[in-house]
Amino acid sequence: MLDILFFAGLVLYFIAMTGLFVSMVFHQEGLRKISWYIFMAGALAALVYLIIRGVKAGRLPMSNQFEFACSFSWGIAAILIFMHYKLKIEWADSLGAAMTFLILSYAALQPREITELMPALRSAWFGFHIGSAAFSYACFLLAGAAGIRYLLSHKKNPQDPQLEKMDYMIYRLIAVGLLLLTITILSGAIWAEEAWSSFWTWDPKEVWALITWILYAIFLHLRLGRKKKGVFAAWYAIIAVPVVLFTFVGVNTLLPGLHSYGSVIFPYIL
Amino acid sequence: MQKFFRFLKSMTFGLILLGIIVIFSVIGSVVPQSQNAMTYVRQFPSFYKIILTCGFDHIFTTWYFIAVTAMLCMNLILCSIIRFRSVVNQKIQTERAAAVPTAVETDEKQRDAVIRALEREHCHRETFAEGTEVYSKNSFGRFGTFFTHLGILLTVVFWAMAMYLPKILDETCYPGESIRLEDGTEIQVDSFSIETDAKLDYKSVINIKLPDGRESGLKEVSVNHPVKMGQYKVYQQTYGTIGHVTVTNEAGASDSFYLETNDLLSADGKNGILYDNLYPDFTEENGQMQVISSTSGSYKNPVYVYTVVEDGQQTEVMLAFPGDVQEIGTFSIHFDDPVEYPGLRIKRSPSWVNICLLLSFMVMTAGLFMTFMMQPVLVTVKKDGYTVLGRQERMRIILNDAVHSTEGEEHHNA
Repeated sequence: MLDILFFAGLVLYFIAMTGLFVSMVFHQEGLRKISWYIFMAGALAALVYLIIRGVKAGRLPMSNQFEFACSFSWGIAAILIFMHYKLKIEWADSLGAAMTFLILSYAALQPREITELMPALRSAWFGFHIGSAAFSYACFLLAGAAGIRYLLSHKKNPQDPQLEKMDYMIYRLIAVGLLLLTITILSGAIWAEEAWSSFWTWDPKEVWALITWILYAIFLHLRLGRKKKGVFAAWYAIIAVPVVLFTFVGVNTLLPGLHSYGSVIFPYIL
Repeated sequence: MQKFFRFLKSMTFGLILLGIIVIFSVIGSVVPQSQNAMTYVRQFPSFYKIILTCGFDHIFTTWYFIAVTAMLCMNLILCSIIRFRSVVNQKIQTERAAAVPTAVETDEKQRDAVIRALEREHCHRETFAEGTEVYSKNSFGRFGTFFTHLGILLTVVFWAMAMYLPKILDETCYPGESIRLEDGTEIQVDSFSIETDAKLDYKSVINIKLPDGRESGLKEVSVNHPVKMGQYKVYQQTYGTIGHVTVTNEAGASDSFYLETNDLLSADGKNGILYDNLYPDFTEENGQMQVISSTSGSYKNPVYVYTVVEDGQQTEVMLAFPGDVQEIGTFSIHFDDPVEYPGLRIKRSPSWVNICLLLSFMVMTAGLFMTFMMQPVLVTVKKDGYTVLGRQERMRIILNDAVHSTEGEEHHNA
């Protein structure tokens, strides 16, 4: 049952993504609307999946790469839906849906069994730290998506009135993402002091979270202080995405450390 | 000289320093930190000389990393903190805003749409002469960048103190015994247990006794739940398993001991047992027993290995299981179930540093929130149009949309 929900979400995202791209290229309004509803159905399936999994596990579903990727993917979908309805932004739908699908596809490659939460993760900070990370990464990925959309629109028509909004959205997403990443890092530091006795251990995950934070802080300084907007900002938002993905996937797989849960380094956290 | 000083307090210098920190951080994450030299020779045969010479093996404590961080702090002080006065002076002055010439011209319909949009945004309105209206909100938001930079500066300073001031001691202690620290503080371990039934957990029950006589009472320490007393914080860090025996003499008096490798249990120093080790499990094949050595996991079928000593001579190697008894002369040795014991991390640090660091975190987060979520808004609306003052991009877009929405209505009506 759970697996069916998961793959239903994945398939719905794929159909929605394909439909949104086709509708974007061929300007098919009807198809765009249908695809959007399919995307929302996918987000609903993913949400129900996460809720059931959380109830079954008796905790928030964010404890390993699979669960984090699911939450991350759902975070992108949630922000995209918020942007669509609250901010009336529809130009991000196709690329946002692609990001949602790709992250959930990555989740599909991970082991899906529900495992018991290890003692180190049993903390009041668990949901706060990991939840803010999922939404922060989601904001950065969507900023990258907005960057791609900006460049495409700019190439087509540099006078497109939507460009200003896209540019502002890149900035806004990065600003919110940075705020959330700050909360992630600081709550992680407080948690680390409770669990490991030190606020900061220069663990690779911490270091790459700091690198990501600095990169986006530089972006905001350049934008607000040096008025670096438009094409520059769009390229910056796109180029920074691999750094976010490396912090999420690469560090856990290539650079073992305290955050490599399940590895033999800290068999029971300790 | 003035030029140099200007550069030191410039944003450019700050961004360069951040870039350098990123480069050092990448190196520090790729090169394993604080390993012995041979690790680098094996892992990086082509680069180990550079790594060791440049200190990349402990990059985050090198003089140059600390110097860059110190320069960043200086830049933060010069660049942002001393600008506090200018931030205060940026107070929204509606009278001055009312005098600003119109930037975007509108007709009456568009003007109404702009006002409606500003009201939807819950802006505060002030009316001036000639129908000029000034809309404002989030005046306090101008302190956002100041608080952010102050928060970062304080975080770096108190973080460094929280990293380097504490004294950390890792100690193991058997249940019923205690750890005595240099200043006379005593940490008594009452018991240790590994819960495997519902959720795996590791718990020690301890009592901290300070030199002034104050005691914490029996408190449970587990992962994520350290016990704090005075300047000490005790963490559940690791655990181990040790052999345990009860020795009884012919009069029936008994005593118990934890066994460590090469312990000799003897009444006269000549006859007894020489303890070798405790193994977690064994296999049996064709009547031959083979002990399994493992450094982790539970002790499913513990096996004691020891040598009998007679007249000072080691005779034969023996195996014993919990419950077995070895008779040596007039006393008997009863092998008990192995005992699990905790490894505790004892941290001594001034608690004010942690409090200051947490406050710094709050200042930094509040600063970022104010910077991005509470941007000050100041809009002047006159009969002929409106002006958005400052760099309020969001408001510019909203008002622009409001103006264009009326164009849409006109087309629709036409």
